[in-house]
Amino acid sequence: MTEAPARPGPRDLRQWRGSRIIQYVMLQALIAALCLLALRQSLPEPPAEYRLSEFHLHEGGAERAVTLPLFTASRYAVENSPRFIAQFTRPAGEAGRLWSVFLPRFTNGVEVAVNGVVIHDSRRDPAANRPDRNTPQIADIPAPLLRDGVNDLSIRLFVRGPIAGFLDRVWVGPDEALRPYYDMRTMLFVTLPVVFSAWQAILAVILGIMWVMRRHEPAYGVLAAAMVTGFLQAFLQTPMEDTPLSRLNVVLISSAPLESALVLTFALLLCGWRWRRWWLVFFLPGIVLALSGLIGSHAVSRALFPFLGVPMVGLTLLITAFATARSWARQHNVAAFLLGCAATIMLTCWIVDLLSVFQIVPNRIFVARLSYSAILVAIGAGLTWRFARALNQVDGFAGRLVAQVREAEDKLKASFAREEERARAAALARERARLMRDLHDGLGGQLVSIVALSERGTGSADIGDAARAALKDLRLVIDSMDDIGGDLMLALGSWRERAMAQLRPHDIALDWHIASAQGLPVHPELRPWHVIQIVRILDEALTNAVKHAGARRITVRIETMQGADGVERGCITVADDGKGFVLAADGGGAIGSKAARGLRNMQDRAARCGAELGLSSGAGGTEVKLQLPHRFPDSDAATG
Amino acid sequence: MNASSNEPSARAINILLVEDDAPTSWRLQDALSKAGYQVRAAGTLAEARAALADGAPKVLLTDLQLPDGHGVDLIRETRQRFPDTEIMVISILGDEESVISAITVGATGYLLKDAFPTDIAATVRDLVAGHSPISASIARFIVRRTQNSVEPPPGPPLNTTKLTPREIDILWGIAKGFSYAEIAGHLGLSRQTVPGHIKSIYRKLEVHTRGEAVFEAVQQGLIKL
Repeated sequence: MTEAPARPGPRDLRQWRGSRIIQYVMLQALIAALCLLALRQSLPEPPAEYRLSEFHLHEGGAERAVTLPLFTASRYAVENSPRFIAQFTRPAGEAGRLWSVFLPRFTNGVEVAVNGVVIHDSRRDPAANRPDRNTPQIADIPAPLLRDGVNDLSIRLFVRGPIAGFLDRVWVGPDEALRPYYDMRTMLFVTLPVVFSAWQAILAVILGIMWVMRRHEPAYGVLAAAMVTGFLQAFLQTPMEDTPLSRLNVVLISSAPLESALVLTFALLLCGWRWRRWWLVFFLPGIVLALSGLIGSHAVSRALFPFLGVPMVGLTLLITAFATARSWARQHNVAAFLLGCAATIMLTCWIVDLLSVFQIVPNRIFVARLSYSAILVAIGAGLTWRFARALNQVDGFAGRLVAQVREAEDKLKASFAREEERARAAALARERARLMRDLHDGLGGQLVSIVALSERGTGSADIGDAARAALKDLRLVIDSMDDIGGDLMLALGSWRERAMAQLRPHDIALDWHIASAQGLPVHPELRPWHVIQIVRILDEALTNAVKHAGARRITVRIETMQGADGVERGCITVADDGKGFVLAADGGGAIGSKAARGLRNMQDRAARCGAELGLSSGAGGTEVKLQLPHRFPDSDAATG
Repeated sequence: MNASSNEPSARAINILLVEDDAPTSWRLQDALSKAGYQVRAAGTLAEARAALADGAPKVLLTDLQLPDGHGVDLIRETRQRFPDTEIMVISILGDEESVISAITVGATGYLLKDAFPTDIAATVRDLVAGHSPISASIARFIVRRTQNSVEPPPGPPLNTTKLTPREIDILWGIAKGFSYAEIAGHLGLSRQTVPGHIKSIYRKLEVHTRGEAVFEAVQQGLIKL
């Protein structure tokens, strides 16, 4: 093989393709030559001493000496069938051995008689009468018929057309000497075609399934139809006589051109051609033949066969050869290449058969039908190759898919981790902002006031108070971060301890009333910042009572109230027995500006939590009533 | 001493105070001395160990972060050498992180560094009388650990498996701000028995030996073998 350019450019492409065509044609020529060489090898023959080739031919009342093999006219009436007469000698010592008459090849039927008694009629075996099959016959000669010395042999040849009658040489001798040769020919020309037909049946099933599963690939359906046609042709019998039933069977004679048309359609589809309606022309010869058989007679369709069937086969092979060569050159289609090689083989055999039909070669062994097996082999190999290639592609695709999925998964994981990280960072930032605000509100202010107090150098008690308040606030902030599971009572428990510690130096008593064992409803939506606001409200109320009201006793009441709408709401009340103050009309107190600011602060905080703050004050003391919401708000809407 | 008049029984009670911040130490010493307690002060772990070598104190008050070590080690040593000594942690915030780790090695409760002097003295007095105080936030931390959750909550490990349902009820009451009397009323107990229950809770939370600690950790699934 010559070196093809590794990377053909546009101009090189045609040249490269051309060189490939030449290579291909040379290969096909080689295949054809090998075929011819193989066909030239004649089949082994029995010993020459038993061979009979000199006969007397009785034909139309005349008699003449002939030498076999001999071609006769292409049609005789049955009663006028030519009769071949010869004599053979059985040696005296052979009396105990079985003798036979061996007819390796004849067209179309024979009747064998020894010493005037008919011993064999091939017409009883329809398969033996088909001209396209090279069926041999062997006839045992019953022992009583044989005489020592000279015996008479008479062979009637039945010829039905359309091709000329033919009788090959005849062997008469001991059965054991002849039968191996008969068996070999039976093997080659009878058994082997059956095997191929079985293969056709299998291919028909496989291709049919493939077509059913892949309707968009009609090539498989067409080929399956071809295989079915071939299979029926091989196994259905063609009767010799014209009978009413045989009418339908006659259609079978059209099987060869029909199968050819189907195979041609398949080959073109395989080579990448698109189906055209005019391709129906391929089926015309087959259809005409079938119709002639149905409407006309057996004889008509027989007469038409050489002009329709045989050329159709040849045309199919020629077109297939060209199409596959083109497909191989252009698309490197391996299946087309295999089919092309098979077509070359069959074409060669077809030409040889044609030469035989026209009596150009003195032989009548038809090989085209046998060589059709090459096409079957090519189809099987091509299909297997395509299947394996498709599997490889699927594997490759699956591998790519797995890789892509893994890649996408990794990307997704990475982005998910990034997203999670971002969400965590955002949550942390939010929490930090909240913490800063809480510390700023409480601890920051208290520390600043400590600084201010210490700079002034007076009131170390004030400094202590401020510092203690700062610590208290720090504890509150830390405490509120703890997960209390929505149970505000857990936060109030700590607050009670701090409140008691705060009140103890002032000798103020703290009455703590929890109306029910459960205390307050549980709020799953409760967040640390809600807790801080509520505790700061309570702290403010406590501080006011201590600093401004001069109270001696502070009462904290915790209860759950059933509202008019049937919803349970928690309520915390801080009441003192101090001197109280007068509330202004706007809800603020007519008291010192600092205390007023404190009250406003409490209202703000309550609003942020969705709680309602109620203030009542009088001579008997002050009462701060905090009504908790049914549901705490999600966002801290009131804060900037 | 002028304190002899108001607290005669406190004379015999000596306290070892371990605190590295001098002003805080002075403040606590003042509060305790005024209440009539004998106070020995130590600023470091080494000084505290030296003081322990002289004899067992009735009460050990210790900070956790010391210049030369951690107060938890001191608590553990003291607990092993002197089982009768009452131990308390001095804490700025009373946060669970430090207090719970001290409780598991033998401390009973904590004292806030900024507590009023009277409260400081009262707390120590209750402690000596056998009333181990427990704060609402610590009770809350413990009871939340008794609730089975898939993932252990953050914070120091704590074995609550030995606590009885009654003890857990008492802890819930404390966490929610109920007084001893209210808790006793709700649970049908005598008010006087509540401090005993609390003492028992402390004892059950204590991990006595290293081996026991490992055993409990395995039982709780904190360590996988």
